Amino acid sequence: MAHLSRLTIQKRILILLFFAIFGSIILGARLIYLQIYQNNFYRAKAINQRSLAIPVDAKRGTIYDRNGIPLAVSVSANAVYAIPAQVKDKEETARLLAEILEIEYDFVLSRVSKRSAAEWIKKRVPSEVARKIIALDLPGIGVVENPERFYPYGSVAPQVLGIVGIDNQGLEGIELYYDDILRGTPGKTVFERDAAGREIPGGIQEYIPGEDGSDIVLTIDYYIQQIAQREVERAARETGSRLAVIIIMDPSTGEILANAIYPSFDLLNYQDYPLENRRNISVTDTYEPGSTFKAVTAAVALDTGVATLNTYFSDPGFINVSGWTIRCWLRGGHGSQSFVETLENSCNPFYAKLGMDIGGERFYEYLTRYNFGSKTGIDFPGEASGVVRHPSTGVPLVTWANIGFGQGLTVTPIQLLAAFGAIANEGIYSVPHYVKEIHLDGTVQGPNIPEPRPIMDPEIAKMTKDALRSVIANGSGKRAESPGYFVAGKTGTAQLVENGRYSHSKTVTSFAGFAPADDPKMAGILILWEPQGAFFGGIIAAPVFSRLVDQVMPYLGVKRVETGSRIDQANTVVIPDVLGLSPEEASKRLEQVGLKVHMIVGEGSRIEGLVPEAGVRVPRGTNVIIYTDVDYINTISDLPNPFGM
Amino acid sequence: MIEVPRRYWRNFDWPLLIAVIALIAFGMLIIYSASFSKQISLNRDPFYYVKRQAIGAVIGFICLAAVLIIDYRAWRRWTKPIYLITIGLLGAIFFLGTSAYGSQRWIGFGPLTIQPSEIAKIALIVILAKYLEEENNIAGWKILIPFALVSIPMALILLQPDLGTSMIFIGITFSMLFLAGARVKHLVIIGLTGLAVGCAAIFASMQGWIEIIKPYQINRLLVFINPHADPTNTGWNVIQSMIAIGSGGFLGKGLFSGTQNQLRFLPANHTDFVFSVVAEELGFVGSVGLLLLYLFLIWRGLRIAILAKDSFGMLLAAGCTSMFFFHLIINVGMTLGIMPVTGLPLPFVTYGGNTLMTNLIAIGILLNVGLRRKKIMF
Repeated sequence: MAHLSRLTIQKRILILLFFAIFGSIILGARLIYLQIYQNNFYRAKAINQRSLAIPVDAKRGTIYDRNGIPLAVSVSANAVYAIPAQVKDKEETARLLAEILEIEYDFVLSRVSKRSAAEWIKKRVPSEVARKIIALDLPGIGVVENPERFYPYGSVAPQVLGIVGIDNQGLEGIELYYDDILRGTPGKTVFERDAAGREIPGGIQEYIPGEDGSDIVLTIDYYIQQIAQREVERAARETGSRLAVIIIMDPSTGEILANAIYPSFDLLNYQDYPLENRRNISVTDTYEPGSTFKAVTAAVALDTGVATLNTYFSDPGFINVSGWTIRCWLRGGHGSQSFVETLENSCNPFYAKLGMDIGGERFYEYLTRYNFGSKTGIDFPGEASGVVRHPSTGVPLVTWANIGFGQGLTVTPIQLLAAFGAIANEGIYSVPHYVKEIHLDGTVQGPNIPEPRPIMDPEIAKMTKDALRSVIANGSGKRAESPGYFVAGKTGTAQLVENGRYSHSKTVTSFAGFAPADDPKMAGILILWEPQGAFFGGIIAAPVFSRLVDQVMPYLGVKRVETGSRIDQANTVVIPDVLGLSPEEASKRLEQVGLKVHMIVGEGSRIEGLVPEAGVRVPRGTNVIIYTDVDYINTISDLPNPFGM
Repeated sequence: MIEVPRRYWRNFDWPLLIAVIALIAFGMLIIYSASFSKQISLNRDPFYYVKRQAIGAVIGFICLAAVLIIDYRAWRRWTKPIYLITIGLLGAIFFLGTSAYGSQRWIGFGPLTIQPSEIAKIALIVILAKYLEEENNIAGWKILIPFALVSIPMALILLQPDLGTSMIFIGITFSMLFLAGARVKHLVIIGLTGLAVGCAAIFASMQGWIEIIKPYQINRLLVFINPHADPTNTGWNVIQSMIAIGSGGFLGKGLFSGTQNQLRFLPANHTDFVFSVVAEELGFVGSVGLLLLYLFLIWRGLRIAILAKDSFGMLLAAGCTSMFFFHLIINVGMTLGIMPVTGLPLPFVTYGGNTLMTNLIAIGILLNVGLRRKKIMF
């Protein structure tokens, strides 16, 4: 060996010792890093690795109506799950489960054969079936309680509430829009398992409760909703309409008190109904509003000064717009009318003229301010914005003429109702909404919607409101009047677009209005799609509104006004309904009750209209005009369709 | 020569022996913890591995006693046969060996299997000690001769292939050369050259040009760099080990209560990854305690080297001690994810008769050198 000094060797041995100590310090440092610094991380990993969690959905928050009536609640139901690693005989297990649960064998087999920690086999299992499965005691198959939706008062406003999916998630409507609030945090049942996925005998089995969802209170009033649901169904059935909607709103707040849609569906068994029954068309669908929109045109015309209450218009029965002829629904025209009378008579040529006089740029600006062509911000998923073409896109003049009487643009029912609400509410636009309160963590919050905003001069709103009152008192909407309540509103009939042209036979008939006219407590809209027979809003939609007012007003605590003082009851008569009779017979009936037939318009053989309308109380000896030749259709069929659809 | 004079017993290193017995007993406890639940679930004797380890310990202590009573100075004469027998055994593996985990390491003799690479480590220490004691000049180019001596058995071990034991060989050789007076500069040059050659071999193997390093070994090396690259296979072991250790925390989950160990997430928990069981169940405190026990053992070993009567004894003691040290660093480092996965055992604690026997023989050598040390203490 090399001749090293003893001291050198000792030194080198000591160096080796320090080397060993240094190596151990590195190991120790690594231990500190893993076991102390990263302890929580690895502990979580270890727990995660050995625990097998069966999620248990949280109890979904309750949805109440504005009176605190629970419309949608969460109740416990049995759910069958599988832990595939613990299922021994997969085929036999699948066969038994498929038989008891009445589901496909292949489906069960695929679930129990999955390479996952846990799989749902079936949710919402009746307890007697669940008991059978528990009794079988199949390895790897278990039953847990999982909440599901139940509707103690039946399907109240189902299109608004919306459905909840099998995994406790809101799929549509309010359930979807407020899912974050309603859903809560799911809990779980945790089993300990070994590396092969087998449950450990005596291992920890723990239920970790989730956090229940929060409750919400709707603006919907259960009782008013019942009225609306009944009336929308009745109206749709009586008129043979394909589709119908009623929305009732508090115009001062934008709170939607009722929203009924026909045809409807059952929330519990929603699978049994066509998908389209579930659409809340009030928000998600658009239509051409027709004459109800004249209220908006009137407000714009008054505000811009294009017309005043003193404006007179002589209606020859048609108007020429850059080569197109727009005709009035009354052949021969209404003659000379005041501004208010044009609205009462729903005179198309006048509103076409207003549309043109206002002009594209200005009209567009006003429509934007009134929230047409854009979403209202309502608390509901899938809101449509409607189409109002921007003037810069080369909109022809005739389109603005059309928009003047409500064709050539599309709106959602909610948009039009909100605009009527602003007219009723001194020009203040309140965004319609469905939710009144959110009960979150012990606090009460309001819905997340835009603030109310003025869109109309209060004076203009008042003038428009008075004109709409006059429509009911003296004009085409008389049938909307309800005894003791002054209703304001406007009827409308628009043609549906079919194959790119306005249809002659398919219409949308509607009524929009509010009551009482002097201090509105409810604004409402009623729309009937494709009614059979009589199309006129005044004939078929207005009476429905009357019935709504008649029922809702007393419920809201609005007292009936003694209207008799205005007209001497003893000297008045109600105009009999003579529609469909021959002119001779009609004249006879009218004269029997003490009325005079002023003139017979048209050469037809059946009465198709009369002024004043049937059902209206008038002084004895009033002159009545009967029409045998009413053009049912707003005679614009030969006009180009503004959407090019 | 067989007789041990009475005065020698005064020099017997009882603390070292007690530390070793403590390590073995501790190891048996951990082996029980790592194996009983699986044994029970398979309807087998829960003490099966503990009993076999006890048998291994008894045989090991018999070997220790045998090594102890023969004066180590007498061994110089046997180095040539030892060398040849070792090479013979290592070579025989290729004809008689049984393989496991992609390599051939064992030779079966009836119910017993022997692992020649284990005993080869002892042989290497004795041969190197003899050579280095006699060779006066290793400061020059002659330093390459001991490397040449080592290279033959090492090549055979690499061919098994057993990368871990080869690393131990290199560690022992460098330690002993360092104590024999080799110049540090030379050791560094040789070390760097070896590293370069090793890297070249790995690269060539990855490219498929040569087949020195097997694919599973390359995989292990890659996994060492990033265990998550292959989390289900090779990387699984390291990730599971780190989860077990990390989740153990400061005080551990309690003996027999380590979830990763008991629920069998931790692989090879009674063999290669026995340290992970210690760290999970006994925590940072238990792990550091075990490391301190090893440091104590290393200190006693190096103390014996310092006090050795002659260079041969000093080199034997230092060689054995460095063997323990490198096993410790490589095995524990592997469980902590800072060393590649090599399958080296943790001395005295890992289950396995061969390795226990080898380690006890090494302790026998240490005690032997300690017995016959100089009289004067300083």
